[in-house]
Amino acid sequence: MSRVQDISRSLKMGELAAARDEATLRTLLGSCIGLVLYDARQRIGGLAHIVLPASGGRLDTPGKFVDTAIPALLSEMQALGDRPIRAEARIAGGANMFATATTNTVGRQNIDAVESLLREHRVPIVASHCGGEKGRRMKLETNTGVVTIEVVGSESIQL
Amino acid sequence: MNLSAGQLERIGAALHEGAAQASEALGKWINRPTRITVHDVEQLPLEQATSVLGTAEEPICFCATEMRGRLTGHLILAFDDASGLALADALLGQPRGSADAWGEMERSAALETTNIVCCAYLNAMIRALPEEAGEPNELVPSPPTFARDFAESLVEFALMDQLLVTDQALMAHTEFHIDDAQMNWSLLFVPDAASMAKLSPVG
Repeated sequence: MSRVQDISRSLKMGELAAARDEATLRTLLGSCIGLVLYDARQRIGGLAHIVLPASGGRLDTPGKFVDTAIPALLSEMQALGDRPIRAEARIAGGANMFATATTNTVGRQNIDAVESLLREHRVPIVASHCGGEKGRRMKLETNTGVVTIEVVGSESIQL
Repeated sequence: MNLSAGQLERIGAALHEGAAQASEALGKWINRPTRITVHDVEQLPLEQATSVLGTAEEPICFCATEMRGRLTGHLILAFDDASGLALADALLGQPRGSADAWGEMERSAALETTNIVCCAYLNAMIRALPEEAGEPNELVPSPPTFARDFAESLVEFALMDQLLVTDQALMAHTEFHIDDAQMNWSLLFVPDAASMAKLSPVG
């Protein structure tokens, strides 16, 4: 978990970061979920690379689980702000990358858990790019709030 | 679920058997002297494991098969474009550099190679593992599928099932040599959570 100012950073599995102004946060996703929260008034954004739906009480890696990542990311963003955070969310990931994979439903469980907990926190999801069979690169520019999704073999899109 | 040094050694021995058998099968398939070598077998924190195939901006190619039988999970043959297309050239009997895109023939060459390597690997592995009462004494790969994607996304997805039960990923580092030249290929043996539990009591 870290606060980022004026730099570009790639997040690994289970990591989260918040930043404001001229920072770029990015991560590569398979079945994990990339969650971007952004407060446009204060130009504060955060990104979490969430791995699993529930922590089961574990607190050592808050970015890894849906139920710990969302409050931790909101808290990190709040620490950078002058006013209460009013965030909106964009989510991506949850792919099932092997056509042969018959048992991997973690991606779907992650998506459901993120949607449910964001509702509890009254954070609206304004865009999502989830499911399918391809990995994704998710990038947040905190200066503008623009979120870009890259998929191998396709044009990149803005969420 | 942390494996002991003895457990890793036993798993490594089975993987060595698999690599030896796969070397022979691959050598016959491409009609060239071929050597597949398993180096370290280790458990890595997941943050390190996702970059095992590199973090380059360029995507990689991979052929994935699902393991069925005594152990379940995935075997994945991963390679960069140049290495994969060079293999296609060798198999199609054309000068190196002829294949420059992943058409039907090139994909078919990669898939068939994966099929041959994985079958040989799993056949040898099952012979090297101690028999268990009530467990099927076979390991069978599903037909492989071909894809081209981000390396970190691939490894993240492949490890997901292990991450349900542990923060450590079981990794075996494999090298491929053809005509004594090292190829930029990697074979990932990725048991799922159920198979990790079966491997744990070993040793």
